[in-house]
Amino acid sequence: MTTEDHTRNANTAATAGDGALLRLEDVHKRFGRLEVLRGVNLQVPRGTVTCVIGPSGSGKSTLLRCVNLLEPPNRGRIIFEGEEITTAKGNDIDRVRRRLGMVFQSFNLFPHKTALENVTMAPAKVLGRDPEECRAKGEALLARVGLADKLDEYPDRLSGGQQQRVAIARALAMDPHLMLFDEVTSALDPELVKEVLDVMRELAAEGMTMVVVTHEMNFAREVADEVVFMDGGVVVEQGPPREVLDNPSHERTKRFLGLVLEH
Amino acid sequence: MDFILDYYFDGGVVSENIDTLLKGFWFTLKLAVLSGVLSLLWGLVLAVLRQLPGKLFLPIRILVIAYIDVFRGIPMLLVLLLVSGGLSTLSAPIGGEVLPRWLGVPEWLGQPSPFWYGVISITITYGAYMAEVYRAGIEAVPRGQMEAARSLGMSHGMAMRHVIVPQAVRKVIPPLLNDFIALMKDTSLVSFLGLAEVVQVGFDIQTAEFNGSGLVFGALLFLVVTIPLARLVDWLIRREQRRTQRGAGPEPDDEDAIPPAPPATGMAGA
Repeated sequence: MTTEDHTRNANTAATAGDGALLRLEDVHKRFGRLEVLRGVNLQVPRGTVTCVIGPSGSGKSTLLRCVNLLEPPNRGRIIFEGEEITTAKGNDIDRVRRRLGMVFQSFNLFPHKTALENVTMAPAKVLGRDPEECRAKGEALLARVGLADKLDEYPDRLSGGQQQRVAIARALAMDPHLMLFDEVTSALDPELVKEVLDVMRELAAEGMTMVVVTHEMNFAREVADEVVFMDGGVVVEQGPPREVLDNPSHERTKRFLGLVLEH
Repeated sequence: MDFILDYYFDGGVVSENIDTLLKGFWFTLKLAVLSGVLSLLWGLVLAVLRQLPGKLFLPIRILVIAYIDVFRGIPMLLVLLLVSGGLSTLSAPIGGEVLPRWLGVPEWLGQPSPFWYGVISITITYGAYMAEVYRAGIEAVPRGQMEAARSLGMSHGMAMRHVIVPQAVRKVIPPLLNDFIALMKDTSLVSFLGLAEVVQVGFDIQTAEFNGSGLVFGALLFLVVTIPLARLVDWLIRREQRRTQRGAGPEPDDEDAIPPAPPATGMAGA
């Protein structure tokens, strides 16, 4: 306990004043012999949108999964709201995750629950909020993502785009301080992508802090405050979208963008 | 020919003994339902314990696996004899009265002690079988479900309770019912302890009257329960197949189908 408290205080002191909601320092992640992250440094200031781009296997999804501790990093520190979360254990991990919303590529809605129940489950069970309050909030959130008429539908009756919007509402129901999006449109039919990105655009406009792993370059260009290009488990280049996307300085970034944007 | 018909299908023998036969079957039903419910619960407890994560719970996982291996691997009759003999002896003077009498010779709810030895043995054995069925169900729930639940701040236990187990149980209801049918038939083993369940009653009639009609009647009573259950299992499996097949591949104009990931492109967000 004492060591933990000590570390926490040290971190608070270290991060005071720099304004970053999330800070990654030299984060490493290995799966067996495969080193997926080889020392990632990143800062995400409050109220900003960071889009992480890069080829498959570059470690971008692993990076997100490290941030909410689904994959514990092997080395390095992750500091969220001034607190080092990489050393968290048990209940502390659950408490950190309540402040982190995560949306997955494969939606992962709970198939045995209706859209509304998907949204209300965590606030009701985890935070022990009043069911009526949860319900009202769930309805409001689903209305916000354009699904006011789908409250009682089960996920298998919804299109992919609708399911993903329910998943976003589900994450928002916990009032997260940071939203993580892991290639949330990659499993969608092309015509369903826009409805999901529109919801994300609105969220960004409302000032939500977001880290978005994406292949949607136009979305990144339009919404991101910061674009991070990853390759081979490291951040190769980062900066405002106009620099990274339109005028990349690294050869690897140029090559990747050339491949992605040419068709 | 007449001898054969008389031996197996003598209505007179059955009607003479109808009261004891039905009383015997009532024992069978009580034993099956009570042991069935307890096995379902015990099996679920074992399966959930087996899924506890992390190094801390490794000893528990090992214990559970050992338990399941042992009790799936030995005859239930053996368990029954060890339980009944052990409990009754250990609560008697000859066994040092290690156990209190109410536990060693249980006669709870007005049922005789062989009934309770049966309930305990069946639960021990079928709990192990059903734990394996639950495990298959739990492991069939996609990993993303646990991740989604955990990412919302749920603990492992909460995620199991509200997300994983409800889905797993739905998937394994047919195999659990199959196990229940087997369990019900195995209640007849409790006749070894002298419980007058339906097979024992039929056997007594056969011994006394040199006539198997009581046993045949007992068989019919079993079938009245097990055949509808078997049909129910078939129906549930068919329903589940229809459901999963509908979700398995895209159908024409099927909005629900999830297509494979499209190639990375900058166009769609425009």
